[in-house]
Amino acid sequence: MANNLTLAVAGSRKTQGIVEYCANLEHDRRALVATYTQTNQSELKDRLSKFAGDHPGIKTLGWFTFLLHDFARPFFPFMFPRRRIKGFNFDGRPHRMAKGIKRFLDSNDRVYACELSRLAFELIQASKGTLLRRIECIYDEILIDEVQDLSGYDWEIIDVLLESSVDIQMVGDIRQSVLATNARSSKNKKYAHAEAINWFREREKKGKLAIVEKTQTWRCHPDIASFSDSIFDHSWSFPRTESLNTKKTEHDGIFFVRSEHVSDYISKYKPQCLRSGANSGKDFDLDYLNFGLSKGMTFERVLIVPTAGIKQFIKTGKQLEPKPSASFYVAVTRAEQSVAVVIDDSGSSPIGFWNPQS
Amino acid sequence: MIRKIKINGYRIYNNFVLEPNRKFNLIVGANESGKSTLLEAIALALTGRVNGRRASEELNPHWFNTELVSDFVHERKAGKAVAFPEISIELFLEDTDDLQNLCGAINSDVPTNACPGISLRILPNPDYVAELEKWAQDPNTILPVEYYMDDWRTFSDQKITMRPKQLAAAIIDSRTVRSTSGVDYHLKQILSDHLEPAERAAVSLAYRQVKASMSNDALKGVNDRIGLLNASLHDRSLSLAMDQSARASWDSSIVPHVDEVPFSMSGQGQQAAIKISLAMNKHSEKANYVMVEEPENHLSHTGLNTLLSRIESLAGDQQQLFISTHSSYVLNRLGLDSLQIMGRKGVCNLPELNPDTVAYFKKLPGYDSLRLALAEKVVLVEGPSDEIIFERIFKDMYGRRPIELGIDVLSMRGLSLKRCLEFCAALDKTVVAMRDNDGIDPDSLRDDASEWLEDQKREIFIGQVSSGTTLEPQLVYSNGESTIRGILDIKAHADLDKWMKREKTECAIRIAESRESITPPEYMRLAAEFIHG
Repeated sequence: MANNLTLAVAGSRKTQGIVEYCANLEHDRRALVATYTQTNQSELKDRLSKFAGDHPGIKTLGWFTFLLHDFARPFFPFMFPRRRIKGFNFDGRPHRMAKGIKRFLDSNDRVYACELSRLAFELIQASKGTLLRRIECIYDEILIDEVQDLSGYDWEIIDVLLESSVDIQMVGDIRQSVLATNARSSKNKKYAHAEAINWFREREKKGKLAIVEKTQTWRCHPDIASFSDSIFDHSWSFPRTESLNTKKTEHDGIFFVRSEHVSDYISKYKPQCLRSGANSGKDFDLDYLNFGLSKGMTFERVLIVPTAGIKQFIKTGKQLEPKPSASFYVAVTRAEQSVAVVIDDSGSSPIGFWNPQS
Repeated sequence: MIRKIKINGYRIYNNFVLEPNRKFNLIVGANESGKSTLLEAIALALTGRVNGRRASEELNPHWFNTELVSDFVHERKAGKAVAFPEISIELFLEDTDDLQNLCGAINSDVPTNACPGISLRILPNPDYVAELEKWAQDPNTILPVEYYMDDWRTFSDQKITMRPKQLAAAIIDSRTVRSTSGVDYHLKQILSDHLEPAERAAVSLAYRQVKASMSNDALKGVNDRIGLLNASLHDRSLSLAMDQSARASWDSSIVPHVDEVPFSMSGQGQQAAIKISLAMNKHSEKANYVMVEEPENHLSHTGLNTLLSRIESLAGDQQQLFISTHSSYVLNRLGLDSLQIMGRKGVCNLPELNPDTVAYFKKLPGYDSLRLALAEKVVLVEGPSDEIIFERIFKDMYGRRPIELGIDVLSMRGLSLKRCLEFCAALDKTVVAMRDNDGIDPDSLRDDASEWLEDQKREIFIGQVSSGTTLEPQLVYSNGESTIRGILDIKAHADLDKWMKREKTECAIRIAESRESITPPEYMRLAAEFIHG
């Protein structure tokens, strides 16, 4: 079977994995590498040109561009005869009651990003097989990076692709599913965020794809790796993360920091400060990065100002909801050597407090 | 392979649709019927270029369909806000796996149809809406093409700037090389396509090295001397070197030679033959679409024959040829079934011609099948004497020669009447045929060809056996011996029957030139009435 999903933990060099995979392909193989974030896309393009530059058939596209180029634009008239898509509207949304073509296009015939995957999916049916045939003829292989960020009708599209003659390779870390291509779609809501794992496990049972776990992190210190594992309890059945980081510094692992020690801690270790969003961490005036934005980045040390939910999780071990779990997991796994969490009451947690005097 | 061509608003073409044949397409038609324009339009959509330049650079007001333009001007002057005329050329390609990147539904087909294809549109540039509207306040038939742009796309709605590699096209025009550079754009393209990429690179590199060594060796002495001249501004030294810029690349200096005579010096026919061989030769990057304009130009009869044999033997299954011609010879040789006739009402082709009949005409390439194809109405007679007599009878009956009414009288000269009728039937021509009964019952002769006859459209007239077996006795029968003797000026002692039989053509000419009219044989009169309508 040629459809694979690689579930990789943070710091497991996912992108490099894709690049190496591409470099080992036969030279005339036509592969599409689709990815969700812009930064990831340019990173991939860069690295591919370095390591797989002798493969003329490899093409990198954003997920939206892929849907636009190979689904929506060529086949749009099958749903709306004689009409054409003239552009892309990233931020807009159709009117709630919009019907027909207005549901998909704005007044300048630009397609709404939030409706693109639904349109693409519906065109697969409407085009009487011509759309899928085209994809099967122009690609031997489709690689999808950051697969955890897809949502809504994207899943239906992946389902169709899994049935096609094209080999599908997906890479992602379900535990990092903080972004979603269509955050407001109600379609397939039950598979949103970390619950996407269930979608894949259902497909694996039906024999449509094989799931490979990549559990080694090159980034996170063993203590950080095992703390990150604890964010998702056993019911998720995620495998344990194995750390390959053997580096030792004077300050390695997970630490709690009392509010009054925050400025001392910062001046001593100069960590990257992280918060959930603009509305959190207001008690401290720090140079924050939001959890979501920090995705894909690496820092030697981070300091996390927790949400109420995270505090609760630390104090009592009560599991967070899937979405905040994913965000917190992203924040923790940014660090190589140390993670500090600002908290005054750690409840029953065995983790110790940082002592400025020691 | 191109399966359908749609042209709108381009020169004489509007709402034009052609479904070409898989392999050979012989485009025939009267002068000004748009044969070259069709080839030009196909090339334009395939390559996005005209004579090597982008469509938008070559664009001129005469590209637009004059009818559309004058309608537009008329409507605008009447205050109606009709849209500016546009040009669109669409090529629908065969739905094969290797063309799927060009596949999509962005084409004018209704209902929606997804297939590989490519379209070229010339349309008003939205950046110049204000200027266009200002111009349209007092419009004339010379459209302001400066405010137009070209839009070259695949049916998958992707803009193209370079010809997709599956659409290699070779254009072999009848124009000959006059420019001093020795090679025109089309030949350059053909030559360049003929070389493998590696070969091309090697040639280019070697050429540069030769030029460099030329600068270092032969020019050295000259440069030593010129260097002392101080002729340039600011005291910088002057020297001579070979031009290494892209303008002077190998493909403008390397030209094909025939028997060591450079291409531009060889005969015009030879030039066409070379282009055809280069473009069509079996090769990895051979052209998929070959367009040949009037191959009969500049060629002797034997030269044309050689060229046609070459075209036939080189044409591969993956090649589609479009050949415009004025020559029946070309038509018969390459097969009547490839015929595409350009007419005022569009194109007609021959979907259902018996392969035997195609083969039959191939063996008789000298026959004037093109006249059959292009005539409005056709009269088929057996030989020259029938032709001459019929012309005279027709003129006596209607006061004008048949050709003046668009009726072409053709003598079959021993060709099978049935084959000719089949060809006319396939062309849906109005035709009347006449033949001698040769002593056989006319009804059974007619039955023999009845498959190709159609009421009011195609008919055979044959004289009764009792009134004579051939034309001559029929004439005597309907006019009486003494009248005929008088007209023919035959002495009383001569045997009229024998003389007429021996001097068929002379007899016909004397009748045709006679001041006295003859009474036409019954079957000829009926035939004339039938075709006159």
